[in-house]
Amino acid sequence: MKGKLNLANMAGWITLALGCVSLTGAIIYNHQILAFIGLGLTFWGIILTYIRSEEYVKESFMDAVCLSSLEALNQLMDKLGYTDKAIYLPPKYLKEPENSKAFIPKSKFSTLPKPEQTQREDIDLFIENPEGLLITPPGNELNKLFEKTLETSFTRVDFQFLQLNLPKIFIDELEIAQDLEINMENNKICVKIENSPYVRLVKEIRKLSKVYESLGCPLSSAISCALAKATGKPVKIEKQEINEAARTMTMEYNLLEEEAP
Amino acid sequence: MNFPLGFWDISLLTAISAIILLITSEMLSPHYGKINILINRKRLKHASITFSLIFLMTVAVKVISILTS
Repeated sequence: MKGKLNLANMAGWITLALGCVSLTGAIIYNHQILAFIGLGLTFWGIILTYIRSEEYVKESFMDAVCLSSLEALNQLMDKLGYTDKAIYLPPKYLKEPENSKAFIPKSKFSTLPKPEQTQREDIDLFIENPEGLLITPPGNELNKLFEKTLETSFTRVDFQFLQLNLPKIFIDELEIAQDLEINMENNKICVKIENSPYVRLVKEIRKLSKVYESLGCPLSSAISCALAKATGKPVKIEKQEINEAARTMTMEYNLLEEEAP
Repeated sequence: MNFPLGFWDISLLTAISAIILLITSEMLSPHYGKINILINRKRLKHASITFSLIFLMTVAVKVISILTS
């Protein structure tokens, strides 16, 4: 912010300057107390100038930006009649494995498309036989952010890696939750996110029922993308629950078995 | 004109500073649900670790000087 005084920054520099003056005084007059004051002020000056606040955007702004694009997607899905649960495709189905894609079948009983169908260059949005929609899910960019933070690609890791490192991203790096647990039992994966401010946004996204029921919220969608990449299996979001009072989110994913060729 | 504080005084000051910073950085950890404080926690953690290392170095210097004397 140009031309606007940053009070915290200014306080840091003033403290540092006062500390330096006091230290100089202590050396000139050989004064012990002045030296202690000088060292203390210099120390806090350095700390205040070094540890600055991070740049954040307001939650209300983030909600507005996120919701409008999801609302457009919700309308499109509703009008086109693709409202069944999306299947997150693993990298072998994609021409560019770094990007994630989700397949929304037209009918509940449709099978998965073949990798040759989804890898075709001329494919735009619609797939025929089985009929469905092939789209970039809302959590694609967030999943890329996870990969960028961990300096790896989820196509090169396994489920144990995600189990170990996703909590680190959520708690230490992005600071959007107090705890995250991932457990796998047979082909079911359960993710529990505790004390997350993101729950408020999910409550709003839940109103966009078509997107929420099919693709999930951006966070659950990003986890689906990561799971599909790491396990190499198609992933479906089975259940999403939020507890607003406890600020917890529980998501259940299903790893689908592919049909034998 | 000489500096009125000795090596041991500065060691004590860095010890106090390191303790304050380590406690603050631990208290602001997202592991305890403090996710709404707008501060660069990584830098705070780095600063606290740096001060702790400086203090430990002063202790090491003192121990070596005692052993060699």
